[in-house]
Amino acid sequence: MFHMYLPIAGNSVNIILILGLGGFVGLLSGIFGVGGGFLMTPLLMMFGIPPTVAAASDSNQIVGASTSGTLAHMRLGNVDIPMGLMLLIGGIAGGTVGVQVIKLLRAMGNADFLIAITYVIMLGGVGGYMFWESLQGMRHQDGLPVEKKKSKKKEAEKEEKKSLVQSLPFQYKFVKSGCEISMLLPLGFGILVGILAAIMGVGGGFIMVPVMVYLLRMPMHVVVGTSLFQILFTCVNVTIMQAWSNHTVDFVLAVLLLLGSTIGAQVGTAVSKRLNADQLKIMLASLVLLVCVKMMAGLLMTPSIMVALKGGH
Amino acid sequence: MHRILRINGLLLAVLAVLFWIGSAGASEAPVTLKLSHPTLKITTFYDGTTVNVSGTLPASDDILLHVIGAKKNVALKVKGKVAGLLWMNKTDVELENTPAVYMVYTPEKIGKDLLLAQLEGKYKAMVKDVALLGVGYKALVKDIAIKPESADKKFVFGEYVKLMEKAGVYGVYDGAVNYGPVEGKTKSFSATLIIPPKMTAGKYLVEAVAVRDGKPVGRARETLTIELSGLPKIIASLAYEHSLLFGIMAVAIAVATGLLIGVLFKGGGGAH
Repeated sequence: MFHMYLPIAGNSVNIILILGLGGFVGLLSGIFGVGGGFLMTPLLMMFGIPPTVAAASDSNQIVGASTSGTLAHMRLGNVDIPMGLMLLIGGIAGGTVGVQVIKLLRAMGNADFLIAITYVIMLGGVGGYMFWESLQGMRHQDGLPVEKKKSKKKEAEKEEKKSLVQSLPFQYKFVKSGCEISMLLPLGFGILVGILAAIMGVGGGFIMVPVMVYLLRMPMHVVVGTSLFQILFTCVNVTIMQAWSNHTVDFVLAVLLLLGSTIGAQVGTAVSKRLNADQLKIMLASLVLLVCVKMMAGLLMTPSIMVALKGGH
Repeated sequence: MHRILRINGLLLAVLAVLFWIGSAGASEAPVTLKLSHPTLKITTFYDGTTVNVSGTLPASDDILLHVIGAKKNVALKVKGKVAGLLWMNKTDVELENTPAVYMVYTPEKIGKDLLLAQLEGKYKAMVKDVALLGVGYKALVKDIAIKPESADKKFVFGEYVKLMEKAGVYGVYDGAVNYGPVEGKTKSFSATLIIPPKMTAGKYLVEAVAVRDGKPVGRARETLTIELSGLPKIIASLAYEHSLLFGIMAVAIAVATGLLIGVLFKGGGGAH
């Protein structure tokens, strides 16, 4: 009962379960501005969906969830469109380079190992830093002593970086983000995230958000809206390409996920307004670290089955 | 000389009569097999199904049933340790001529012993050649080749079986075949075949093998056809035959759903 057949995945799924999964990931999307690909694809695989179909159909559902999320954030004035466009152009260029890097790595024969290690290092590094930073912020808010000498030193470093950034050409005032920086900066970061996203086979939202928060110093709520805007266009491109060349988009699965995720995204956006920036960051950091620990455990523990079907990470 | 020829001729005639009697005896109780639903349709809310099989066999024999999917080459990654610490998908191997689906159903009481996958117990002495029956994993592995040839076929196939059993498309169901009462020289049998949703559209061979003294004495075959129907059929044909249109359509519907939900939430004032 409550099952539906997925003709492209070649399996049936429980409708309630998929709606729930979609809702959960949509909630994360709305709260943090991440696509949730790094979480959704492994979850779908756990329920018997082939990896390639899981990833492509997830992209399809992210289109719907991020449309809804972007719209909600646009109404709240949280989307910096010029910044989003720069990151998007960089992301697409980086993604193209990343695909070639993967091809090269596969030819060298150790691609899977490098993918897994990149995952663990990126998730561990990003999650760990965000967690530590948010904890510091919360301690500061609570009136706990923060080493003054250290913050002075940090201020000096910050000023040095600022002057370096200001010396770059193509300076542009990103009004919503409240900063005047070179357009080359988001473009460059977009390329970097695009490369990593292609290597890791995910949308890259969980890397893009920390880049915007820590490197571009954008306000958290603008980060979430702008990230969703960027993810929307990236996933439109991925969905069409995957459906066209690989036939891996399962429409029924995507629609089921969509129904859950679009509602989840709206709820998530409302929740994000009620939480402060440090709470948001520490929650996302915990989630990223959790996925990191799970991956690390998978790498260290002896597998119960010593073979895997080729195709997909 | 004439006498010798006459004796030889007589002997041949006796043998011919004996052979005729023997074959006539065998034809008295041939193995028969019937599927309750030779064709299954995958519709929108399909979640796998079952198919009843029934048939007859000589009263003193046992029956084994197996379901075999289309054979194909399967590309696999064998896991291994990297740097003596991390488990990774390491080596590429290919199993050739491997069925996508393989299920065996054995009779009540006898089950595992007769299957010969694990040749232990009282049937060990009875069966000389594991592959003779052509049923079970051990028989299956004989037809499978591995690339590169240096790879450990037995180990890789064993692990592949575990993987497929976990997916529900390989399986051994001991004691799943029931016998009916003996009627003259025959008895009937019946079983319920499990058709998991992962058995995709295609043709599957269902074979019944009658076994006497560890040797096959008769076989009967039927084809089970699984077809896509209704919405799954429309979606599959769009995805494979009009893939670009399908991709654009998937994006358009996703965007429309996202917008609709966005508007609905605004209208209801739920989110803000």
